[in-house]
Amino acid sequence: PSGMAAPTMEERKACWGARDEFWQCLDSHGDDAAKCEKLRRAFESRCPQQWVKHFNKRRDFLKYKKKLETEGFQPPETAGKS
Amino acid sequence: WLYLRQQKERQQRSRRLRDLRALSLGQGDFQLQDTSGTPRSKADFLGRWVLLYFGFTHCPDVCPEELEKLSRAVELLERDPALPPLQPLFVTVDPERDDAAALARYLRDFHPRLVGLTGTPEQVRAAAAAFRVYVSAGPRDADGDYVVDHSVLTFLVDPDGIFRDCYGRSRTAEELARSVRGHMDSYEPLPP
Repeated sequence: PSGMAAPTMEERKACWGARDEFWQCLDSHGDDAAKCEKLRRAFESRCPQQWVKHFNKRRDFLKYKKKLETEGFQPPETAGKS
Repeated sequence: WLYLRQQKERQQRSRRLRDLRALSLGQGDFQLQDTSGTPRSKADFLGRWVLLYFGFTHCPDVCPEELEKLSRAVELLERDPALPPLQPLFVTVDPERDDAAALARYLRDFHPRLVGLTGTPEQVRAAAAAFRVYVSAGPRDADGDYVVDHSVLTFLVDPDGIFRDCYGRSRTAEELARSVRGHMDSYEPLPP
């Protein structure tokens, strides 16, 4: 098997905890990542890089989903209106 | 006329039984190895109900959550001594990294009777295909790490080896247990 061992249960929980703290900070600062630098660094140090990417995508998706639910779907403007 | 109708029903029943027997033999079979290196195929689990989940040990969050749920559902059903035994199974979709040792380490955190299965890439591919499970390994990063995109499903197989139900992420452990119990209650064994 290539590469390092999979994270243990303890390591997973530490990663998820750091992620949740980072996200809570983002939630209370209107997603201003600059206000949450320290927690972002803690999150990225606690989680494998692949997981950081995965969770970042997850957050983007959740935000997009929330936007759809609250604002409704906005179809792109069609080119050439009569 | 009544005789003809009875004969028709008898033929339909025996045709259905023949189809079910073919299903029990051919459907959802696998050739894999458990964490002690012993070869295991579907035949080894006949006579027991099976709850089977496909995942991988480097999974960020979904697999631990689904395995917690699966373990909890099995625990709930174990509390009722009148119910038949239920075998939880985990099949890796990442055979390159998930060898017997990796699986054993990973599965320690979940139900004690949870059996882990791995194999060659071909064997794992065939097992996933048999259950129509989508598997797609992502690109490797600089450390050689990657995630595997896959369908998130837990399958229920009856003691005849026939697929009975499948459960997605939205079902709770309690809902799983209730559904499995319902299948167990309505189960009729295939006549030999």
